[in-house]
Amino acid sequence: MDDDEAVARSLDGDLAAYEALVARYSALAHRTAYMLGAGDEAEDVVQEAFVKAFRHLASFRRDAPFRPWLLRIVANETHNLTRSRGRRAELAVRLGATADATAPDDPEGTAVATDRRARLLVAVRGLPERERQAVVCRYFLQLSEAETAQVLDWPVGTVKSSTHRGLARLREEVGNEFA
Amino acid sequence: MSSREPFDDGLEAELMALGDLIDVPAPPPADVAATVRARLESQPTDPVSAPDAPSPPEPVSPPDPVSPPDAVSAPDLADGPDPAHGPYNSPVRPARARRPGRRDDGRRPAKRGRRARWTIVAAVVVVVIAITAATPQGRAAVARILRFAGVELEVGESTPPPVTTTASLPGERTVSPSEARSQARFEVKVPSRLGPPQSTSVSDNGRVVSMFWPGGVRLDQFDGYIDPYFFKKAGPPYPDFVDVGPYDAWWLKGEHPLGYIAREDGTHVPLRQAAATLIWRQVAINYRLEGVRTKEEAIKIAESLQ
Repeated sequence: MDDDEAVARSLDGDLAAYEALVARYSALAHRTAYMLGAGDEAEDVVQEAFVKAFRHLASFRRDAPFRPWLLRIVANETHNLTRSRGRRAELAVRLGATADATAPDDPEGTAVATDRRARLLVAVRGLPERERQAVVCRYFLQLSEAETAQVLDWPVGTVKSSTHRGLARLREEVGNEFA
Repeated sequence: MSSREPFDDGLEAELMALGDLIDVPAPPPADVAATVRARLESQPTDPVSAPDAPSPPEPVSPPDPVSPPDAVSAPDLADGPDPAHGPYNSPVRPARARRPGRRDDGRRPAKRGRRARWTIVAAVVVVVIAITAATPQGRAAVARILRFAGVELEVGESTPPPVTTTASLPGERTVSPSEARSQARFEVKVPSRLGPPQSTSVSDNGRVVSMFWPGGVRLDQFDGYIDPYFFKKAGPPYPDFVDVGPYDAWWLKGEHPLGYIAREDGTHVPLRQAAATLIWRQVAINYRLEGVRTKEEAIKIAESLQ
């Protein structure tokens, strides 16, 4: 069952079809909410977003992809949450504890790579909000420019310029390992 | 189509690789789905009539020129019921005060315990990078490993030695187009520019569908979001970052070793020396188109997918 069929069946009131859609996009929705600033409240945000998406499914343009439409709702919910908390939406992520698989024959090289990743993550976290959101969507969530524009509700030009400025700032902050 | 040089300093690729290393705690999708369903059943609202949506919902229509989120001044912390104004007023919510007291509304009594569980899981986690670290060439030979569209790409400083053997994908068997559609775990598409394929196969329990055309052209489509299914090794000439319609794509112009990553244990299985390939991801499905001579033609074929 593809997205379109699942949406059509959900619109007919088939909750099992909608359940399949939720399961399909749950991980990505959590990732999006978490990285856009919901942090450990991502679970609430995502649940709320899926309930809302169902209620508003009738407004979904069937010729458009479901994924960015859904993520836009997730981003909205996240924004509502961070705004209500009255603080900056922070990128509350960390590298997994075992993310740095060690190379037994090259502990030094592993340490260097680990250090660079940590510094890069800190630098992304410290970006101005717009630039950080653009960088998170484009690279951490691997959304296209068009999807990012839809999810953040920015013009595509703003996505391009914010991404560009963010990258320039990161280059200044962490330098370039491979140059 | 535009062409950019992502590897001029590698930062974009590095960020993507970093993103893949970041673990985000999430409950099992089936649990989320069941919880959402339970909420919908307890507060039945027909999605079509959507009585709590008084205005034609614009909340998630394609981007229009609206004020950027930084500029949102909206003093309405109570979340007014009209979603159609402003970028971040979410699609309608019942106009009740919700935050910060939202957890007191009793809708999700079992939440606390669940969250605690997932916080613990958050500490565990993710990914292997050092696949090649144990090889004689060691780290120096592999500048970095990139992941994109279900493909893990080992980018080295020199052209990797070619694979001289040929193997097929795990469990690969030739099927009819209709069998492919019924056995695949996703919606199977065909590039109209190439016409109907000469043959079609399904591999790895429906995870991969491959189509073949005369002249060594093949299209693999496979499910999967973050975990890669294929690995490729590349040196100079480095991959080209291109667009397939709205989607990002990589063009590997030269021949390169191709292998398969087993779902169960992550084993890397060498497959064959692959011809020039375009890889891209589109609506959660990954594609690799192999054997088309030029980047321009490959992109046109990719864009004809339907």
